[in-house]
Amino acid sequence: MGDAKHEQPSTPYAAMFEGFRKDLDEHYDRRERVVKASRDITAASKKIIFTLQRLRNIGQPLPPFTVKGNAQYWGTIAERYKAISADLQGLNAYRYNMQITHGNQEFMEAICFQHYIETQTLISYNEAKMRVAAMSGEAGVVQLTVEDYILGIYDMTGEVMKFSITSMATNGKLPAGKPKKGPQPSQEPPSDQPADKMDIDRGVTAQSEEQQPRNVLSDLRELRLRLEMLEPPRTSKFRNEAEKKATVMRESVEKVEKALYNLTVRGSERPKGWVPGVREERRPEVESY
Amino acid sequence: MAAQNGMVDPAIFQDLQARVDEDGAVHDELRDIIQTLEKHNRTTLFVLSRAHSTPVSNLSSVLEAAEEPIQNAVAAITKLAQSASKVPYYKFNSMWTRQMQDAAYGMLFWGWLGGYKQEGDGIRCGRLLTIEELGEIMKIPVNLKDRDEFHLTIEEYLHATISLVEELTRLARNSVTLGDYERPVLVNQFVKDLFAGFQILNLKNDNLRRRTDGLKYRVKEVEDVVYDLSLRDLVPKKTEG
Repeated sequence: MGDAKHEQPSTPYAAMFEGFRKDLDEHYDRRERVVKASRDITAASKKIIFTLQRLRNIGQPLPPFTVKGNAQYWGTIAERYKAISADLQGLNAYRYNMQITHGNQEFMEAICFQHYIETQTLISYNEAKMRVAAMSGEAGVVQLTVEDYILGIYDMTGEVMKFSITSMATNGKLPAGKPKKGPQPSQEPPSDQPADKMDIDRGVTAQSEEQQPRNVLSDLRELRLRLEMLEPPRTSKFRNEAEKKATVMRESVEKVEKALYNLTVRGSERPKGWVPGVREERRPEVESY
Repeated sequence: MAAQNGMVDPAIFQDLQARVDEDGAVHDELRDIIQTLEKHNRTTLFVLSRAHSTPVSNLSSVLEAAEEPIQNAVAAITKLAQSASKVPYYKFNSMWTRQMQDAAYGMLFWGWLGGYKQEGDGIRCGRLLTIEELGEIMKIPVNLKDRDEFHLTIEEYLHATISLVEELTRLARNSVTLGDYERPVLVNQFVKDLFAGFQILNLKNDNLRRRTDGLKYRVKEVEDVVYDLSLRDLVPKKTEG
């Protein structure tokens, strides 16, 4: 402080500004810590999602290698939440929301996606909040806002889309759950398999769809419907963000629909496990030259 | 659609909608109050802008006229404080921070011109109201750290002082037009002192930092006015130095 006075011209307001400096420094330090933690949480969450994308089945517990592989990332996330929980208490609970929201959303996306793969259901807000709370330190709980949760779900639909497309490309089928109650005898084949055998004209009848266990597309459609029904508060920042993400979500659903269309129309023409080849993709490009 | 055995438990979205609606209701309630505050702020600044064309000797009428909109603003702030204290402060802070800055700025300008606690004879220009004094006028706590209540933040106060400097830069020039060669000198010293104060802060990249960076140009502008005056030997001798 003596140094600062030496460098700066003296001012009658020096004492006042020195007081402000102390408070602002604390504020900036807290903000900095939250920014860093948010970044780390985002990165670790992305890695968790990557690992999950290597799976091909839904509605069953994660295989041990996935659990083991992701353990370190969960550890990182818990550590980061613990480190900043003291900075996000009381008056400051929402103060650094802009800084933490990105990490929260990405973490939500990971939790949501994993929960979906395990149970084929959507994790509830309260459960998601408890997951973050469980990772927070002794100083108190880190808030997961409704906004973080909803925006995280939007992002999760993109992951489900990638998951579906990958599965269709590699296995030639849309991921579907195992039937909860088994009234039908032949539950083994996934939903699109009968469609493959059927004439193209007939397609998948409503009846056969009902009998099948839910597949990823029907889940995506349901999620889309729910999200579109949700009415965000007027003129809020959240609304803008939600609208942007809603557009991406609709595209995701459509991508899966298109992929399934292709699978339905051409599926029977292609050998099982056939993946769009590099050669065929490039051919028109060469011709155009 | 797919009801209870679908992917989404319908209760999840019912709960979400309820929460979103709740925030929406708070939002609406606050917005009405904030719009009222904004209106009174505008009136205050409208009245005070007459200072640019009023000689110091007649300033008291302007300052008195400003008291009513200021009191109206205080009433709006009281209402805002009541409503906003029911919710986490920083959850909705962005809604009113601009209006609180403007309210603080109006009061700072009014105080600088001599409106606040003018005891005894005449009006004394050049006083910077402290954040505590603003809290007193606004009837709200300031710079809270340990409890989650409505208050005036340091940042809001600092933004208001920057607005004050910008206004005083204008006033320095306009004083000269009015034939008042004393006030620019006063403004010059004041702006310099305040600028020196800001240099004590370690600001990080944000809005406050950006506006603070602009202060040096204001300091320069006022200096130029004083320079012009001194060049023509118009600076009153007693205030010099």
